[in-house]
Amino acid sequence: MRSLLLRIFVAFWSIILITIVAVAAIGHSYAERTRIALQNFEVGDAVFEASAALQENGREGLTEWLRSLPGPAEKLFYVVDDKGKDLLGRRLPQIVRMSLRRFGDKDARPPRTRRDRPNLRPARPFTQLIGPDDRVYTLFVVPPQTVRAEWIADRGVGGLVLLALVVSAVVSLLLARTLSRPIMQLRSSANAIAEGKLDTRVAEDIGRRGDELGLLAADFDRMADELQRAWQKQTELTRNVSHELRSPLARLRVALELVRRKTGDLDELDKIDVETERLDELIGRILEYSRLDADSRESRSSIDLGELLRSVVDDVRYEYGDLGSEVNIELNSDATCTTNGYPSALRSCFENVLRNAVQHGRDGGDVQVQLDIEGSQAVIVVEDQGGGVPDHELEKIFEPFYRSPTTRDAARRSGGLGLAIASRAVTLNGGTISAGNADNGLRVEIRLPLAA
Amino acid sequence: MNTPDAKILIIDDDRELGEMLAEFLSPDHLDVSACLSGEAGLEALRDTTYDLLILDIMLPGMNGLDVLREVRKDSEIPVIMLTARGDDVDRILGLEFGADDYLAKPFNPRELLARIKAILRRTRSDERRGGRVAVGMLEFDARSRRVDAGGQPIRLTGTEFELLRCLAESPGDVVSKEQLAREVLGRRHMPYDRSIDTHVSNVRRKLSDAGVDNPSIQSQRGVGYLLLVDERGG
Repeated sequence: MRSLLLRIFVAFWSIILITIVAVAAIGHSYAERTRIALQNFEVGDAVFEASAALQENGREGLTEWLRSLPGPAEKLFYVVDDKGKDLLGRRLPQIVRMSLRRFGDKDARPPRTRRDRPNLRPARPFTQLIGPDDRVYTLFVVPPQTVRAEWIADRGVGGLVLLALVVSAVVSLLLARTLSRPIMQLRSSANAIAEGKLDTRVAEDIGRRGDELGLLAADFDRMADELQRAWQKQTELTRNVSHELRSPLARLRVALELVRRKTGDLDELDKIDVETERLDELIGRILEYSRLDADSRESRSSIDLGELLRSVVDDVRYEYGDLGSEVNIELNSDATCTTNGYPSALRSCFENVLRNAVQHGRDGGDVQVQLDIEGSQAVIVVEDQGGGVPDHELEKIFEPFYRSPTTRDAARRSGGLGLAIASRAVTLNGGTISAGNADNGLRVEIRLPLAA
Repeated sequence: MNTPDAKILIIDDDRELGEMLAEFLSPDHLDVSACLSGEAGLEALRDTTYDLLILDIMLPGMNGLDVLREVRKDSEIPVIMLTARGDDVDRILGLEFGADDYLAKPFNPRELLARIKAILRRTRSDERRGGRVAVGMLEFDARSRRVDAGGQPIRLTGTEFELLRCLAESPGDVVSKEQLAREVLGRRHMPYDRSIDTHVSNVRRKLSDAGVDNPSIQSQRGVGYLLLVDERGG
C-alpha cells in the first residue's frame, strides 16, 4: 500500500483532481451565489426602479440605486452615461463595450480581430433612460454566465494557474525529496563501503520506510553484512595462517640456537637458518599479497610521492648497499606531487619495484628512478640495467610466482611475488603499472592519479 | 659486559616456545617466567616485579595490544613485543601504545637476547648515573628516569626517556637515526624501520600534551632529529 509507485500515482493524481475540483468549485459557488441573490429579483422591476430613481434624483439617484443592488446583482447591471462611462466608474465588460459599439456608436467599425470579437452574445435587455437633465443613460443587463466568464478572465485564471503551480511544485518537491534523499544516502554509503568502511549501514536512516527503498536499504545492509563477514573471515584466515605457519618456525629457530650451543657452529645449521628465514619471508610476502586488496585497516590519505620515493630509495640503498648498484633518483617536478591513496600499499609497491630492479641489475648495474607529472597523472619510471625481459613475457612478470627462464635466480630471492604485490598495490591506489624494455634493462612505469 | 640477574616475563600462548626461550636465555642469567594468556600475564605482573616484558601481540582472548595498554596504565616496565612480520599496523600501534622495541616473529633468538641486553644495560646504567640536567622547560633526573616540566612529571616509557635524553645531550645538533637506534634501541637502524619515528612522535605528543613548546623536536628529513632549545624562552 505504501509502495512508491502508488505514492507517485496518488500524488500526481491528487494534484490533477485538486485542480479540477478547485476550478469547478470556484465556478459553481459563484454561480450559486448569483442564483440565490437573483432568486427574488425581477429584471423588469429593476429597470422600473432604476427609472424611478433617475426621475426622482437624477444622476445621483441612479448611482445610488446601482450601489443599493445586492452583491451579485451589482455585477449584472451597468449604467453608462452619454460619455460611455459607467456611473460607478467600473471597467465595462467586453460585451457591454461591444453592445455600445454596435448600437450606440454609428461610426464604429465592426471589430476586426478575433480578440476584439469574443464569442459572446451582446448584453441585454438594453434600455435607454432619459434623465431630468435630458441626458441619456443606457442600462445594460449582463447575463450571469458571462459575468462568471469575465470574472475568471479578470482574475481567476492567473490566480488559479499560480495556485496550481505552487501546489504542484510543493507536492512534486516533497515527492522528489522522499525519492532522492534515500538514494543519495545509499550512494554515499556505497561509496563509504568501497573506501573500506565496511561497517557502514543505512537501515537507521532509511530502513524504516515501508516502501521499495526501505526494502532496498535492508538488502543493502544485508549485502554489507555479508561483505564484512567475508572480509573478516579472510583477514582472520590470513592472520591464522600467519600464526599457524610461523609458530613452528619460531620454535624451529629457538631450537636451532639451542642445538648450536650444544654442537658449536656448523655450516649445516647456518643453512637451516637461512632457509628458515627465506621461508618466513615467503610467508610474509604471500600474506602481504593477499592482504593488499582487503586491507581497510588503513585509511586513504594524501601522499607526497616525491618524499615517499626518496625515503624508499634511501631504504633500498641501505638494504642493498653491498651490491654495488647505484640508485639514482630524479624528481622532475618543481611542484609537490601528491596522490590520494593507501600509504603503506604504495610504499610496498615502490619497495618491491625497486628491489626487483636492484636485484636484476646485480652486477653493479645502476637503477634510475624518475618522477614526472603528465597531465593529471604522476608517472614513476624505474629502469634497471639487468638486460630486460623477452617481449612476450612483459605482461606475465606481474603474475604471482611467474618465473622467467632468464630471471630464475633473482626471482627466487624475492619469492616471485614482488611485482605482483606492486601491481596489486597500484591497482588499489587507482593507478596502472606496465613494463617495457629500455636500452639495457627493464623499465617499469607506474601511473597514479594526482590529487585534485 | 656481565649482565646481572634479571627477571623476565614472557606472555605468549606458545608454551613450547616459552620453555625453549627460558632454556636459551638462562645461561645469560636471565630468569624467564612464561604466561600463556594476557589475563594471566597481567596478574603475574601485579604479583611480582619483573625487569622486562616480552609480549606477543597475537594472543587468544585479550590481545597483546590490550595487555600493553593495561600494563602502561601504571607501569613503565620495558616491553619488547613480538609481531607478525609484515603486519605494520600492529607494529606501529604497539610502539604508539608504548612498547620499547619489537621483533618480528619468528625471530632469531640471538637477536632477542641482544635486544634484552641492550634494554637492561640502559636501565642499569641509568641507576648509576645521577644528577639533574635542565634543558628548556624540561628537567631530567637520570637516576629516577624522570622528566619534569615545571615540577610536573611527564610520563615517558624507558625508550622515550632515552630518546629525549639522547637528543638533549647535544641540543641543536642533528642526531642521526642510525645513532638514535644504536643508543636508544641498542641496535642498528634497519631499513624500512619506522621505530625511531614512532617513538619521536610519541615523545612529541606527550610534550605537547604537557604544554611544553621549548625545547621542541625537529626532524631533518632523511638524516635524523634534533632538539631545538629557545634560550630566551628557557
